[in-house]
Amino acid sequence: MGPDDPLSITFAALADPTRRAILARLAPGEATVNELAEPFDMSVQAVSKHLKVLERAGLITRGRDAQYRPCRFEAEPLEGAVHWIERHRQVWKERFDQLEHHLITIQRAQPSTNRQPSTNKEKQS
Amino acid sequence: MTVEKPQLGELTYVRTWEAPRALVFECMTTPEHLTHFWGPTGVSTPIENITVDLRPGGAFTTVMVNDADGAEYPMRGVFVEVVVPERLTWTEADVEGGMTTSVTFNDLGDGRCQTVAYQSNVPEMYRTPESQAGMESSFDKMAAYLATL
Repeated sequence: MGPDDPLSITFAALADPTRRAILARLAPGEATVNELAEPFDMSVQAVSKHLKVLERAGLITRGRDAQYRPCRFEAEPLEGAVHWIERHRQVWKERFDQLEHHLITIQRAQPSTNRQPSTNKEKQS
Repeated sequence: MTVEKPQLGELTYVRTWEAPRALVFECMTTPEHLTHFWGPTGVSTPIENITVDLRPGGAFTTVMVNDADGAEYPMRGVFVEVVVPERLTWTEADVEGGMTTSVTFNDLGDGRCQTVAYQSNVPEMYRTPESQAGMESSFDKMAAYLATL
């Protein structure tokens, strides 16, 4: 998979604990670079590097105020990442719910033969 | 039924079956069985479009059909690992840049079995234990936050 698709960029941005902490700080409301640097005990330059990664991933936007450029959390890319998991989990849940019913049906129909199916012999360990 | 907490970008789905492992494995690898359950709710999987060539490199294809509007969702998988009746792994090259799914079948020794389905399309480099450990806790927070939006 190429590193340029949106999901990869989102996951790469989220892979760093500092960047996740920055997002958690921004979730309730916007903050400036200086405000972000303070609790993390990091230089403004180091925080700015993280902000660039987050901005490229679309996880934050920066304000236009030339001096402060406040950062704002953008939830949309994250929703994409969360949605991926929810969507696939739902498919497996529904699929296996149906398999559960199917297994009950076939085991009722052939209770004696299913314990030792001829096609898939298991090794005794 | 147990659902494990998913990591960001990957999915682990654990389930215990009141059925022997060989039978559950057979259900997952036989068109006659797959057609009964493969499509999720509201989606059918006609048997004539199911291919299970049970060997590494073999095809695992289905066409799921939406019962409501007839829309078709083809799956074009290729098996990369086949260990009867313990493990199945297949890849779908055309899904979201390449998706790998593996299902492990654990014999619980009392006529029951447990399956662990694992699905991911996230590149290996992002799946280090370090990044996963961190993602797990923040995923909880972010999911909780997103739920409030």
